[in-house]
Parts: sequence; C-alpha cells; structure tokens
Amino acid sequence: MEKTTIKRFGLYMRQNWTLYVMLSLPITFFIVFRYIPMTYIQIAFKKFNLFKSVWEMEAAGNYGFEFFIKAFSNRDFFYALRNTLLLNLLDLVVGFPAPIILALLLNELAFKMFKRVTQTVVYMPHFLSWIIISGLALQLFAPTTGLVNIVLQKMGFEAVPFLNEPTHWVVTYIFLGVWQSVGWNTIIYLAAITGISPELYEAASVDGAGRLRRIWHITLPGIKPTIIVLLIMALGRILGSEFDRPYALGNNLVKGVSNVISTFVYTVGIRGSQFSLTTAVGLFQSVICVIFLAGANTIAEKNGERGIF
Amino acid sequence: MKRIARVLAAVLVLALLAACSNNAAAPAPAASTAPAAPAATKAPDTAAAPAADTPAAPAGAHADIGLDGVKFTDTRHITVEIFDRNNDGGTTPADNYYTDFIKQGVLETHNIEVEFIPVPRWTEGDDINNMLAAGTAPDICVTYSAPTIQLYAAMGGVHELTPYLDETKDVLPNLFEFLGDTGIYWSKDPDTGELYSVEGKRANVAKQTTFIRNDWLETLGLAVPNSEEEFYNALIAFRDNAATLLPNEPDKMIPLLMTYDVGWMAAPLINAYIPDALTDKELYTLGFDDRFLLYPGYKDAIRKLNQWYNEGLIWKDFALYGAGDTTNELLSKAGYVGAQMQNWDSLYRNGEDSVITNIRRATGNDKAGYVALNPFPNDSGKVRTFPYAPVGSDRKVFFPASNDEVYASLLYLDWISDATNRQYLQIGDEGVTHSVEPDGGIRTIAVTGEKIMNSLNNIDYTITCNGLSFEDPEVTMKSIALGYAGVEAELVIQAYELSQVNSRFNNAGTLGTIAAEEGKGTELSSKRDVFLDQAVVATPDKFDSVFDGGLNDYLASGGQAIIDERTQVWEKYFGSSINLDK
Repeated sequence: MEKTTIKRFGLYMRQNWTLYVMLSLPITFFIVFRYIPMTYIQIAFKKFNLFKSVWEMEAAGNYGFEFFIKAFSNRDFFYALRNTLLLNLLDLVVGFPAPIILALLLNELAFKMFKRVTQTVVYMPHFLSWIIISGLALQLFAPTTGLVNIVLQKMGFEAVPFLNEPTHWVVTYIFLGVWQSVGWNTIIYLAAITGISPELYEAASVDGAGRLRRIWHITLPGIKPTIIVLLIMALGRILGSEFDRPYALGNNLVKGVSNVISTFVYTVGIRGSQFSLTTAVGLFQSVICVIFLAGANTIAEKNGERGIF
Repeated sequence: MKRIARVLAAVLVLALLAACSNNAAAPAPAASTAPAAPAATKAPDTAAAPAADTPAAPAGAHADIGLDGVKFTDTRHITVEIFDRNNDGGTTPADNYYTDFIKQGVLETHNIEVEFIPVPRWTEGDDINNMLAAGTAPDICVTYSAPTIQLYAAMGGVHELTPYLDETKDVLPNLFEFLGDTGIYWSKDPDTGELYSVEGKRANVAKQTTFIRNDWLETLGLAVPNSEEEFYNALIAFRDNAATLLPNEPDKMIPLLMTYDVGWMAAPLINAYIPDALTDKELYTLGFDDRFLLYPGYKDAIRKLNQWYNEGLIWKDFALYGAGDTTNELLSKAGYVGAQMQNWDSLYRNGEDSVITNIRRATGNDKAGYVALNPFPNDSGKVRTFPYAPVGSDRKVFFPASNDEVYASLLYLDWISDATNRQYLQIGDEGVTHSVEPDGGIRTIAVTGEKIMNSLNNIDYTITCNGLSFEDPEVTMKSIALGYAGVEAELVIQAYELSQVNSRFNNAGTLGTIAAEEGKGTELSSKRDVFLDQAVVATPDKFDSVFDGGLNDYLASGGQAIIDERTQVWEKYFGSSINLDK
C-alpha cells in the first residue's frame, strides 16, 4: 500500500515536475515581495528608528499600542475613516451595478461592429491615470474656466460648483470613478455572459419570453456567481482607499470630504515622518478589510453561493 | 511538447536563480542596515607629509588629529551633498567647472579630496532619508528642514558638533567670521548644550512684495495706490473696466491674484493688520508657523480678503490648484492679472520668459508690467514686513553619524565660507559670467556651456551662504539690481526694498527642541491652508464660523500645545520680559 502510494507520487512527479517548477516563480514572488515585507508590520508596535533594524527598534509605550492610541485619539483620523466609508459605499452603490447594466446593454446590441467599438471606447479611460483625469476635470468643471461651466453660463444658467463645494464634489468624484472603470469592469461580465448556453435563450424565445424576460431569467442568473465573487471582493475593499484618486481630485475647499485614510496617512504620517503611526493605521485598515472580506464570504456561502476561499 | 515544457522550466529555474543571486548582491532593504559602513573610505596614507619639517606656529596644536597648520599631513577624503536641479543646458552638478575649482582649492589648502554626491533637489528629503538609513549619506549633508535634523539626531544618526568646534575653532576663522557665533550655535540646545547643525546665512532676506499693473493704472488714469482704500478702488476699477483693459477676453479679468497659499499670497496685506506692538515674546511663541497664522490681527486681514472675494475682486478658482501648480503664473504671463502679492522677484525672474517680459511682448508696450508698492500701513501708520530671518531660515549643514572625517568636513565649511572663494563661486569669471559696472555693481552675464551656473549665484555650492553677499552692502544691492536681464534696475530695487522695510523677525534663536512640534509641521501647515482657503471663499455670514472653526481645529490638533511649550521655554530663559534687549 505504502509503496504504491510512493510509486504513484514518483510517477506523478516525473510527469508533472515542470508544472511545479513553473509554480515556483509566483511563489517566490509572493514570499519576497509580500511575506517578507510583512515582518515590517511590527513597526506599528515599535518606535521607528531609521538607524536600527526593525528587530532592534524599541517597543512603543502602552504595551506597544502607543501609536494605535495616538491614531484613534486624532479627530482627523475619524474624519478620514468616515470619508473613506462614505466614498467607498457610494462607489459600491453606484459603481458596482454600472458595469453589469452596461454589459447587459452591450450584450443586446445586434450590430457587432458597433458593439466592439463601443466596448473599446468605454474601457479606454481605464488606462488614464488619476492625475490626468484630475487635469481633465479641472479643464471641464472649474467654476470660471471649465468648459462645462462656460457653456452653462453662455446658456444662461448659474455655474455649477462641481469641484469646489463638498456635495457636488462627491457626485463628481463618484461619477468620474464610474466613467473611468465601468468599461473595464464590463469585460469580466461580458465574458461570463458568453459562457451562457445559447440553447437557453432559444428555448426561452420558443416559450415566448421577450428580451427583458430573457435578461431577467437567463442572463442575470447566468452571471450571478461572477457578480457575487466581485461583490465579495468589492466589500473587501470597503475600507481600503486609493490614494491617487482622492488626492488628485481633492482640493482645499473640499478637504472635509476628500481627506480619506490614505491621504491622512500621507500628510500626517509620511510627510510628518511618523512612520510608526502610518504603519499602525495601515495595519488597522488591513485588519478591517480582512474582516469585511471574510464576513461577506461567509454570508455568501451561507446563502448557497460559491465563495472565494 | 514535453521537451518544450522542459526547456521552458529550465529557463525559469535559471532565471529564478539569477534573480535570487542578484537580490543577494543588491543592497539590503534600507531600514535593516545599521550605519556601520561609513560612506567615505579613507584614502590610503600615500601622501607623505611634506610639511612635517616646516614648523608652522599652530602646527603642533592639532597634530593629534593629523593637522599641520590647516593642512592634513595625509590626504583625507570627504563627500559633500550637492542639489541636482536637472536644469536644461546645465552641467553635471557633481563634476563641472565650479566643482573643479572647489576640489582643487580644498586639496591645496587642506589636503582634502572632495567628492560631490548629487541629490535631486525636489526629492531631496526622501533621498537623504534613504541614504541615511543605508549608511551611505554624504559626509556633509544640507537641508532646509530643522525638524528633519532633529528627528535624525534623536535617533542617534547625527554628529554632535560642540566638542569638534571647541577643539578646532582656531583653524576655522572664515567659518566663525562669516556665520558668527549666532549662526553656528543658533540651534544649540540651551540646556544640554548639544548642537547638531550649523545654520547657513541668508544674505538675501527678501520675501513678498505687492505688485500692480502700471500700464492698467495709466490707461484708467489712476495713481499708484498709497493706502488700502486706494488699492481696493484700483481693484474695483480693474474689475469694472475689464472690457477696456482686456478687450478681447474681458471675462478673463483677475483684479487680484490668489493661490491656495493665502498666507503667502496676502502677506503684505496681513502684515498691516498685525499690531505694531507685537512683542519679541510673541515673535517666538506665536511665530512658529511660517505664514505667521497666530499673530494677532490675522482674522481681520482674512475677513478683508473674504469681502474682496465676494465682490469678485479675487481669482475665483484659486483654491482648486495646489502646490507646485503653475496656473497662477501662466495667468500673470497671459496678462490677466491686475495686482498680486508675490515673492519679491518672481515677476522679474527668468529673463526672456519672465512675467514682465511676456506682458511687454503681448502688449507691445515696453513700459508695461508690474511695479512694486506697499500701500498697507499698520495700526501705527507704518509699513511692516516679516521677511526671512538672516539666521535660522536658510539651509542647515549637518554631519551624519557615518561621517568619520568630522574635522576635515569642518575645514571644508571653513574653505567654502572664505570671502574670496565664496564670491568667486557667486559671480564666476569677469568677462564671462559677470562684468563690473563703473559704479562697482556686478552685472550678471548669461552663459551657456561649461561655466553656466546650475543655481542662481551657485547657491548650491556656497552651502553656508544663500544670496549675493559682498563686503560692501551697496555693491551687493547694485549687483542684485543688475541680476535680472531685461528688467530695469529701479524696478528690482524698489521690489527688493519694499519687501523688507521695517522688518522684524525672531531674534531669540530656537531655544532648544520643542517636543510638541515633532512631526506636526506639515499637518498643521496643511490645516492652515485648508481653512484659510475656505474662509476666503465663504459667504460673508459664514466667515466667522469657518475661520473660528478652522483655527480651533488647528489649535486643538497641536497648535496650542506648541504655543504653551514655547511660552514655557521663553519664560524659562527670559522670565517675564516680553522684549529682548536691543
């Protein structure tokens, strides 16, 4: 018995060793660039010193939690936390369904050429950096020099403070986010739709189902697992924050809503050379993200869906 | 198929091995190396000591550190930080005509080999950080940021200078003469006596001046404003006559320019609201913010700006453009701006591409442009300015702990502070980079090629001196005026002088480390900018709540703690007196 197992394993390895060798590359990547750097998390519990190795640094006060206490007693941290949640939730509510709807629309297009062109055009913005988009936003939406506002004023309307009034800014922020990412995120849904058997549609037509009925009863259920997986992953990012988007789009007049955790970490932590504080905030953020991810996954699995673990 | 897979796998393994061995050879991650390895390895003691048998008088004094007179008996080697500005047409900052001059001079005078380490000017802070962590920082480091040095010193990464200076003061005559004890010991902690950096001198202290478009005033038949009211009326006249002044694009009219940095761009106006009776104690305890936010009277000045903004006199979009954005400069160059409070020479800088030259080209009027004025007297009827302090506002020189040639580094500072060497670096060769006017003024000549200066007057090399400085202040003044190609000397002189009339600055020194300031600098100054911007654009009825809310938040986030600690420190050293003896 034993012997045959070993023999089988040997045979298996002889046939497939190349696969394992190839696997070693990504594994090495993760160890070197993901796991080893994790040892630096301990900076959150230590007094950062540029001239000592991370193992030699002195422990922080309050049983190592000095910098967590410092972060949590900083009012700006809570504003940043609130803004992060606010912007990400709005992004989720508005930005998550958008690519699904777009994918459904594109899928229904009869003229294939038009479909392809549209698809390419809508995913192009994905390749623009936020720095460029914020430059475009200024050219379009600035109160006196922005193209949109100039046109509005010529037509006799008041200028809209797209960028310089907090509520309008949030709308602009969310809208630009959707504009930038909707096309790209559509690709994955379109791929999922392709996987649905055409026979189902034919059968439905025979049964007299109209276009909307087919979308509702065939397409949507067909891509439901994809939607769930992407939703779980989106929930995992609920407290994570991009840096360049709020930083590039924000300005002093809307700091009250545009200052998120990542920009807080940048101004207070990195530019203020408070690296322990920065690491503590980053660790807190990661832990919350993992909790959300695991929570969403559990709920999905409980409801009979495939999770991501 | 299988063969291909095998080959592929073999290649992968090789690539992986290669990558690993590369990793091993590359420097270890920054934070994990102790500064064990010194940056400069001492040159072998090949240079025999020719001076050994020449008994110079003070020779024996420092024989223990290898000095014979002011010259090392064996050749030493030091590295010096040099800003790399990466300018168009510039030379290699670490190796050019002027570095050769320095290298040769220092080698001849002190038997020290100098090597320059270029550090990109605009990421200087980060780069020095990394080099310090890796133990490869230059022996002589330079930064504008005192807190940075404090931070490194607290981590044990910077040499304490007092013992070295005490020991070798007699061989550093130029350094002590040029900077004086004030400059050298400026940042000394009065309690512990510890000193971690030497203050460079700011020879040119000019900060902001108010400017107004003289050709617009002329067109409208207005005189140069002499009071805040006249200034305000001029702004209104600009606004209301946009169609005359900018016939093609009247909607581009900006009577008064502003940027996100309100404390800078309104300084001359703000200065007028600060009571003349401001005490030295207040200069010390409230003056830590570099825009002087906490001086009394500030709110009234901002309220004035708020009123002007709501009357359409200030650039409406100013707060949308952040640090480093050049939109405001482009607006000035395009000729849309009526008045602005700016860095004293920023409208005259850059020769053919200066703001004033651009306006003259566009209007076809070679008298057009901006004149300096200061129409904002304070409560005692005087115009006051708060320019840079001659000491304490410029670069600080420090030696990282990895420097094992502290004496040689000090001698280098002495050499670079020597009047002859300093002035040669500032103006270069006569007939090439400058000419001497009959009245003694030095006229700058723009050059290209090997003798080009990568920074104005080579300030990057004269690390103890920022700005032209000759023995005779009048020559200095004349030369400053001749330093702006295409701009009349009178305009420059006027802007320069108005930027520093009745100037005041903190004379008390730093009085040691203020613990409450640690890591707070950027956080507080960004808070300040945010709420000042919001206060300027607020509707008049919201002004008070926005300003007070912002200021309270500033104080609660650390501002008050700094004031309290500074007050304590002041009282510790000066008791109840509120002014220093003159």
